[in-house]
Amino acid sequence: MADLKYVGTSVTRKDAVEKVTGQAKFIEDLYIGPMLYAKMKKSSVAHGKIINIDTSKAEAHPGVKAILTGKDYKNRIGLYLIDRSIIAVDKVRFYGEPVAVVAADSEKAAAEAVELIEVEYEELPAVFDPREGMKPDAPLVHEDLENYDIVPIFYPKPGTNIANHFKLRKGDIDKGFEEADHVIEREYYVPQMQHVPIETHKAAAHWSPDGKLTVWSTAQSPNVVRQLLAKCFEMPMHKIRVISNFIGGGFGCKAGASIEGLVVPLAMKFPGYVVRIVFSREEDMQGTFTRQALFSKLKTGIRKDGRITALQYEMIWDGGAYTEYGVNIVRAAGYSSSGAYDIPNVKTDSYCVYTNNSIGGPVRGFGMCEMQWGIERQIEAIAEELGMDPLEVRLINGMKKGSTTAAGQVVHDVDFEKCLKTVTDKIGWGKKEGKFRGKGIAGLVKCPAQPSNAASSAIIRINEDGTAHVLVGGSEMGQGMLTAMSQIAAEGLHIPTDRIEIRVPDTDFTPYDWQSVGSRVTYTSGRAVKQAAEDALGQIYRVASDLLEVPAEELTFDGKHVYSTKDPEVKATIREVADSCKKCTGEGIAGPIIGRGSFVPTNMTNLDPETGQGNPGLFYCFGATAVEVEVDPETGVIKILQLAASIDAGKAVNPQLCTVQLHGGTIMGLSTALFEEVRFDKGVMLNNNFTDYKIASIDNTPHIDSFIIETPESGGPYGARGIGEQPMIGVAPAIANAVCDALGVEFNTFPLTPERVWEAIKKKQAKG
Amino acid sequence: MLSYEYIKCTDLNLAFQELEEGKQVYPLAGGTDLIVGMRGGKFAAKTLLDIKDVPELKVLEENDRGITIGAAITLNDVVNFAPVRKNIPILAEGCHSVGSYSIRNRATIAGNICNASPAADTAAPLYALEAIINITGPGGERTVPVREFFTGPGKNALQKGELVRSIHIPAPYPEGKGVYLKASRTGSVDLASVGVAVQRWGDKVKVAVGAVAATPVRAHNVEKAINENGETNWAAAAKLSCDDISPITDIRCTRDYRFHLVEVLIRRGLEQTMGVK
Amino acid sequence: MSEKMTIKFTVNGIQEKKEAAVGQTLLKFIRDELHLTGTKEGCEIGECGACIVLLDDRPVNSCLILAVELDGKNLVTIEGLSQNGEMDRLQQAFIDHAAFQCGYCTPGMIMSARALIDRKPEPTDEDINEALSGNLCRCGAYQEIREAVKDASKK
Repeated sequence: MADLKYVGTSVTRKDAVEKVTGQAKFIEDLYIGPMLYAKMKKSSVAHGKIINIDTSKAEAHPGVKAILTGKDYKNRIGLYLIDRSIIAVDKVRFYGEPVAVVAADSEKAAAEAVELIEVEYEELPAVFDPREGMKPDAPLVHEDLENYDIVPIFYPKPGTNIANHFKLRKGDIDKGFEEADHVIEREYYVPQMQHVPIETHKAAAHWSPDGKLTVWSTAQSPNVVRQLLAKCFEMPMHKIRVISNFIGGGFGCKAGASIEGLVVPLAMKFPGYVVRIVFSREEDMQGTFTRQALFSKLKTGIRKDGRITALQYEMIWDGGAYTEYGVNIVRAAGYSSSGAYDIPNVKTDSYCVYTNNSIGGPVRGFGMCEMQWGIERQIEAIAEELGMDPLEVRLINGMKKGSTTAAGQVVHDVDFEKCLKTVTDKIGWGKKEGKFRGKGIAGLVKCPAQPSNAASSAIIRINEDGTAHVLVGGSEMGQGMLTAMSQIAAEGLHIPTDRIEIRVPDTDFTPYDWQSVGSRVTYTSGRAVKQAAEDALGQIYRVASDLLEVPAEELTFDGKHVYSTKDPEVKATIREVADSCKKCTGEGIAGPIIGRGSFVPTNMTNLDPETGQGNPGLFYCFGATAVEVEVDPETGVIKILQLAASIDAGKAVNPQLCTVQLHGGTIMGLSTALFEEVRFDKGVMLNNNFTDYKIASIDNTPHIDSFIIETPESGGPYGARGIGEQPMIGVAPAIANAVCDALGVEFNTFPLTPERVWEAIKKKQAKG
Repeated sequence: MLSYEYIKCTDLNLAFQELEEGKQVYPLAGGTDLIVGMRGGKFAAKTLLDIKDVPELKVLEENDRGITIGAAITLNDVVNFAPVRKNIPILAEGCHSVGSYSIRNRATIAGNICNASPAADTAAPLYALEAIINITGPGGERTVPVREFFTGPGKNALQKGELVRSIHIPAPYPEGKGVYLKASRTGSVDLASVGVAVQRWGDKVKVAVGAVAATPVRAHNVEKAINENGETNWAAAAKLSCDDISPITDIRCTRDYRFHLVEVLIRRGLEQTMGVK
Repeated sequence: MSEKMTIKFTVNGIQEKKEAAVGQTLLKFIRDELHLTGTKEGCEIGECGACIVLLDDRPVNSCLILAVELDGKNLVTIEGLSQNGEMDRLQQAFIDHAAFQCGYCTPGMIMSARALIDRKPEPTDEDINEALSGNLCRCGAYQEIREAVKDASKK
C-alpha cells in the first residue's frame, strides 16, 4: 500500500481551528432556547429503603417548575443487564444515587429546592467489599435479579450478589500444572479510579408538542442512548433525536446511557423548553462510572525453560450498585485472561459482584489494565523464580502469528516481539545504571469488547462542486475520529481532505454506529467509510462513463477531473459529474451521488457458556511499555527517567494523531500508576474533587519515546486498527516492575504513591 | 450562585465598621480559599468585604526594620520581590509552593495564614523567620508573633472587627541559608503532606513544620539539641522531631508516614543549610 | 440576594458597561452574560485551569473571582486572541503540534501559555512546566503542549 495519498499522512485535525479559538461548541456552550435547569437530590445513605419523599417545601420554592421522583420513572435502563432505574425506585443502592430531580428557572432555585426535599430512609445492611458480597449471608443489593432483562451472554446468580460469573476453560489445567516445574501463586488488588474528563457529564432535552424528543448529551454512544431511551420511555426511535456535540473527554465514562434519562421526563412536562443538567465535579466523581476494583488470585505453572504451562485466574470485581455495563468488563477480562501470552491451559473464573459502592463501569482499557496488572506482575515473579530475564520470559510466551488467546481465538496480524524489543532497546535494557535505579517492562494486548454484531455505517454525499460530506455516527471526544474518517474517505474518493466536511453525530442525520468505545471506530467506522467512498467513486466513474462515452474501467479521478487513462483529453470536471449530470443535449444522466457503507463483523462468535471458548475479538492490538526509574529510598518518591511506549497500529491513519493518542494513553496510565485511587468510606467517596483526587499535570509528566509499529491488520481499513485504550495498559506494571528492579521490593497493588513505596521498602528491611 | 452582599472597600475605617457591625462578614482579598470554602459550605458568608484595593494593605516594602508585606499583596508578587529573594529566599520558596501560577496571581500570603490550615506552605517559613503579624482593628494596631497567630485548624488570633494589615519579617535577616522542603503526593500542585522549613541563623538553626499538628509548629527539640547542646549529627537531631509533632492520618497520607517524612526532611534541610558533617 | 451592580471593564479590547449579579463568579459572567463560551468550567475550585483568563494581563482562575471584581479591569479571553480572523501564533503552534485532543482544556491552557510567553519570551521546559502546572489536560497532550509553546516563543 505504498501509494496511499491521504491515509498515513499527518493532516491537520478537522476540529483544530475551532478548538484553539474557543469556538468548538460543547453542550453547555449552546443556547438552544428557553431553559430550565435540573438538579438532583442525591441519596445520603449507601443502602436503604425509601420510606418517604416529601417534596412539598421544595415545590413551593420560587422558581421551581417540577419535581420528579422514582415513581415517575417506571422502567429500568441498561445496556447488558437491565438493572438500573434512572431515579431510585423504592430503595437506594449507593451514596449519591438520584432520588429526585428538580427543574427550575435558574440553577440557583433548583439547587435551593434540592435542599428542601426531605427524604426518609430505613437504612439497610450494606456491603462494600465484593469478596464479602459473594458470601451466602451477604446483604442482597438486588433482590429481584432473576427478573431483570439481560443479554443472554451473561450469567447472573439470582439470590446472590453475583451479577455475572464468566467461566473460561482452555486445554487441561490439571495437566498444565503437572507439566510445570514451578508453581507461583500471588494475589493482586486494583482499586477504583475515576476518568475525570475535564468536561463533566451533561445532558439537555427538548420535547416538541408533536411528540419529538431531542437530547443533547456528552454521549460516546448517541445511537445506544437513542436505543435505550426508546426502550425506557417506550418511544419509537424515529421520534428520538440524540446529538453528541464535541465531548470534553470520554475515556469510557460517557459510554452507554448515563444521565440523559434524568431530564427527559422533565422536558416532556414543559414542551418548548430545554431542560439541562450539568454534573458538578463532585457529582461526576461519586455518581458516574468508576473503574471497578479488582481482587484477584493468580496461579501459574512454569517449566524450567520459561514456558508457562498453566494459568489459573480468579477475579472478583467490585461492580458497585449497578452492573448494567460492568458485567461485560468482567467477561472481557475473562476471555482475555492470559494477556499477551499464549498459554495452553487456562482456567479462569471472573465474577462481577454487586456492592453498595459507586457504579463500576468502563474505563479506557475495559478491564485490561486491571487484569493485565496481575499478568505482568506475575511474569516478573516467574522471571525471578527461574532466574531469567523478564524480557526473555515475555518473548518465550508472547503471542505470535498463529497463537491462541485464552478464548482459543487464533491471532493473525501480530508482532508482539517487535513491540517489546523496540521499547527495551530504547531504554538500554539489561544495563543497571545505579543503586536506586531500575528498569521494567510490560506487554499489553486488547481487542474491542463489543457484541459480535456491533455495526457501523457511513454515508458520503458528493456536493455539486465535487466537495463531499462524510456522515458517520461516531462521537468526537478528542480521539481524532473526524480527522481519521475524513482521511479514509479521501483515500477512497480521491477527494482531498480539505474538500471533505465531517461533523459530530446527530442521530436524525448521521447513520448508525454502535458506540465510540473499545478502540473500535477506526476499524469499524473506517471500514464503513471506505466502503461508502468506494461506492461513491464507483458512481462517479459510472456517471462519467455515460457522460464521456468511455468504459468506466478506463477512467481515473484525480479529485478535480475524471479522465480517460487512454486519452487524458477526454475528461470532465467533478462538478460536471456531480451536479445532476446531464448530456450536452440536456438529457439528464444521473442525480446526486450518495455513497453508502455498512459494516458488521463476521469474524466474531458467541462464547461457549462453560468453557468461554470462541472468537470474541474483532482484532487484537499489541504493544509494550518500558521505563527506567530512580527511587528516593527514604521518601519513596519515584522519578521516571525514561518512558518508552510502542503500539502496533497496523497502519497509522494519521501518524501525528496516533502519536498524541499513544502519549495520552501512556500519561493516563502513568497517572493511574502513581497517583490515582478513589477512596471510599462506607460508600462515601472521600476524594471527590481535584484537590483530593490528583491526576498527572504537565510538570510531573516526563518525555515519552513513542513508537508506532505497523503490522497490517488484514481486516482493517488500509490495514489500520484502533489504539486508543491500549497504551494505558502497560504503564502501571512496567513502573512497578522497574521499582522492584531498583529496590528488590514487592507490590501487588497500585498506585505507587510515595507512601506505598516507602512501606514496601520498610517491609523489605524488616525481612532483612 | 451564592447569596451574599458585596462591599468594595477602599477605606480602612469603613472596613472596621463593616467587620464590627455586620454578621458573618468575610474579608475578600484573593478569594482563592474563600470562594472555594463558600461553595463547599465551609464559610457561610453574608457579606464579602473586598479589601484588596485598600491602600494600607497594598504595601510591599523593605526598610531598615525589615520587609513588610501588605495583606493584599499576591504570592507571585512576594516571590518576585527582590528583597525577599535576596534576604529571605525561604519565604519565596514557601510562597511559590502554594497552588498553581494562576492561583498565586490572586492568592495572598495574608489569606494563606488567615485560612490557618496547618499545611499552609507560607507558614513554616514564616515560623522559621519569626515573622510578625500586624493586626489592625477599630481599637488600633497590635502585633502578634506568627506562632501565636495560628490557634487551631482554620482558627486564627483575629478578634471581631480586626484584619491582618501586613506581615513583617524583621531585620536583621538570618545569616545563612534557608530551605522549604515540601513532600506531597504528586510533587506538583498539591497540598503538603508535610512541609519543613529549616533556616540557618549564623551557627544556630530554626526549624518549623507544617501539616503535622493543629497548627504549624517549631521543632523545638531539634533546635535545642543543635543550638543548645551542640548536636552535629543531623540525623540524630532530626529524630527528636517526633516529640515536636502530632500528625494525623488523612486522605494525603498516614500519621506514620508523616513522622517519617518529617525526620527525613529535617535531616536533609539541616544538611542543606548547616552543611554536611 | 440577586443584587446587581453596574461594572465597567474592557473585554477583548472593547469597553463594556454591564450589570453583574453579586453572587456570580467571573466564569459564569463571561459565559452567561458576555456569551464568550470558549472559557470552560471543569472543577469550580481553581484546580483544573479550564477557566483561566487574563485579568490585567495576568492569568487567573475565573471560577474563583467574582464578576463584580471585574470592575475597572481589562479582561482577555480565548476569543480575544484571534481577532480579525488572525490567529495568535500560539494557537497556530497548538494546531501544528496537535497539542490537544478533546480541546476542552485548550482555551485555559493557551491563556496560561500566552501569559508565560509575554513575561518570558523564551521559556525553558521548566518555565513551561511551572506556568502550566495548574492546567489539567486529561487527554495527556502535555508533551505536544511543551513543544507548541517553545515553537510559538521562537517566532
